[in-house]
Amino acid sequence: MNAPDESTRRLALLERMIAIREFEDGVRFLFLEGSMPGTIHQCQGQEATAVGVCAALRADDFITSTFRGHGHALAKGLTEQQLLDELFGASTGCCKGKGGSMHVGDMSKGMVPGIAIVGGGIPLAAGMALAFKMQRADRVVACFFGDGAVAEGAFHEGVNIAAIWRLPAIFVCENNLYGASTRIDLVMNNPRISDRAAAYGFFGETVDGNDVEAVYAAAARAAARCRAGDGPVLLELLTYRRTGHSRRDPCAYQPAMERKEWTARDPIDAFAARLQAEGVVDAESVERMRAQSAQRFAEAVERARAAPQPSVDELTTDVFAAEAQP
Amino acid sequence: MQVEVKMPDLAATEGSDIVVKRWLIEVGAPVKRGQPLLEVETDKATMEVESIATGVLTATRAPAEEKVAVGQVIATIEAKT
Repeated sequence: MNAPDESTRRLALLERMIAIREFEDGVRFLFLEGSMPGTIHQCQGQEATAVGVCAALRADDFITSTFRGHGHALAKGLTEQQLLDELFGASTGCCKGKGGSMHVGDMSKGMVPGIAIVGGGIPLAAGMALAFKMQRADRVVACFFGDGAVAEGAFHEGVNIAAIWRLPAIFVCENNLYGASTRIDLVMNNPRISDRAAAYGFFGETVDGNDVEAVYAAAARAAARCRAGDGPVLLELLTYRRTGHSRRDPCAYQPAMERKEWTARDPIDAFAARLQAEGVVDAESVERMRAQSAQRFAEAVERARAAPQPSVDELTTDVFAAEAQP
Repeated sequence: MQVEVKMPDLAATEGSDIVVKRWLIEVGAPVKRGQPLLEVETDKATMEVESIATGVLTATRAPAEEKVAVGQVIATIEAKT
């Protein structure tokens, strides 16, 4: 049996994952219809990593994000409306329509707008963690990146400085097996990414990134460690993406059997089944969550289509940093 | 309701050609939202384009080997509401 607040917490994890899936599936069709400019990088199948990590953080903790950032944003408290307005290039979007899909974020909600340079968020997160430490604030930064980022020099420099200065940073590697179209076994002799932490003398662990509760528990342990002043954590989350790297990628390099195996390990279906088996939720309530998310998405799309576009005289506003306060 | 299917922005290089390779659904046949509708070749890859609506494919406006532009109407679907 779950205590009521424990059930509420677990149901919130499920609700967020469902909201992200509905959002991403909806956006996929907006792209196909030609309603949405540019390309998009989607996170279907990876919902548990974003939701599990962000649920273990406080509202005043920060995240940095990269490709596939819509899920990170929805998990950190941004609304569908803020994101959709941004995707439609509207001035009411979370970056006033200047960031688009790739750069969603909201500093007031603890999310640095998404960083398109692979590995670029890693030294940045170390810098933010240094600021928190110098301010003697017990805040934490969780830095999301993919397996491809581990080959970048920025990874090694960023995690090393965090390790030697014992900075409160959780380096979250969403290992989905592919850096764009390159499978990790072509570029790594040791595919266990969390082992890299030992090389720099800090703690690393690997957990099932499709099990939202395992992710939550590991992220909560990592955050506690950071707040206690015990230094950074490299948290490797094993997951898989359902889509191509971008919408322009047909994803023909993922073997059919591998795709099938990972589809059978859907993070939302698995967690919904567990909660149902434990009597926390029934199938109807899960369906209702899906319907509510779909409805909220549809309404947000209609408002986003009608939202105002930025004017030309705003072209250079918010482009250069003023007094950015993390 | 008639839904116009427009060529999505799938090319890796802006302004490069997208060529229709083959239609995977025949005119008059039912199609589901998300089901592959046709195959195209971009400057980078051959890929499937999925249907944006559930209904019946009523017309195709671009035969195989024809170059199409992003946003060009390539088919119509009588959508089920």
